Amino acid sequence: MNSIHLTDEMLQAYLLKEIHDDSIVTHLTVCSTCKDRVEEYRFLIDSVQKIETETFSFNVTALAMNNIMRYAKRKSKKQELTFWGLLIFLLIAISSFSIPFIPRILAIFYSQSILTILLVIGTGLVVLLFLVADITRQYKTKKDKIFKNNLQPIL
Amino acid sequence: MSNEGYYFSDKVIVTNILNGNIQGFAIVIKNTEKLVTQIVSKMTINEDDQKDLMQDIYLKAYQNLSSFQFKSKLSTWIANIAYNTTINYLQKRKIPVIGIANTIEEKFIATENPESATIKTEAVEILNAAIAKLPPLYKTLITLYHLEELPNKEISEITNLPEGTIKSYLYRARIILKDNINHHYKSEQL
Ligand SMILES: [Zn+2]
Repeated sequence: MNSIHLTDEMLQAYLLKEIHDDSIVTHLTVCSTCKDRVEEYRFLIDSVQKIETETFSFNVTALAMNNIMRYAKRKSKKQELTFWGLLIFLLIAISSFSIPFIPRILAIFYSQSILTILLVIGTGLVVLLFLVADITRQYKTKKDKIFKNNLQPIL
Repeated sequence: MSNEGYYFSDKVIVTNILNGNIQGFAIVIKNTEKLVTQIVSKMTINEDDQKDLMQDIYLKAYQNLSSFQFKSKLSTWIANIAYNTTINYLQKRKIPVIGIANTIEEKFIATENPESATIKTEAVEILNAAIAKLPPLYKTLITLYHLEELPNKEISEITNLPEGTIKSYLYRARIILKDNINHHYKSEQL
């Protein structure tokens, strides 16, 4: 009989089928000490697997979702504030810059006949309408791209 | 095959949330809650702290969702966040993660009183008590390996520990558990 016993590591690995070694099997058939030890480990591993998994007494999903919704609301409020703040700032900046030019632009119109003025305003309106239509069209295409196509993930 | 299945459904869920459906995150929580609970409950005791930790973990997961690379399962990624957050919490409180392995004497005192010795305790109960006394990291590893039945590779991704280290920790944890159980039965026979 082998006087050197199997190590705990070997016994565990054998039980968990991490190693396949015939010498372990042979030793276990002849050595009652190691046989007892392996049975102790078998008992341990069997019992561990019978333990029920722990759960919390509180509702994890509700708790975590509430927290996330609070965060998302705070974030979107901040974004909205930043957006409007920037827009108002830009408007004020642009209008204050253009104040000195207003009398000079009006002066151009004073010297022209009514027909020319109407023509100028008409052309301006058509160009403006065209621009607005184009921007709306682009916005729609982009919105479709973002919200429709992305539902099918790109793999 | 099964891995691809995971990645596909993960991708659908994540894309949906990133497109603005915040409520979709509830599915992520439902799918990962059990695993995350195992990690947090094994390393902490105080319920208020556990509540804070669970909220913290999922908020972090939500905030960083766009940086998730689909290189692992979503559940593994979130479990990793859970593990790191909990370890951080333990370190802030100066609670040792591995600590000195609990001595058998300590366990012995617990089972020495005649009352508990006469009551025939179920093996699982004895084991539960023994596991509860393990250092936090050992407890978590035993749970992930034996209860959640995760492969070493996945445990390694969750804990950022090399597979060899996990193996040797598990091996040491099992020795402690076995010795504790043996001691319990011996003291019961006396
Ligand atoms: Zn032997």
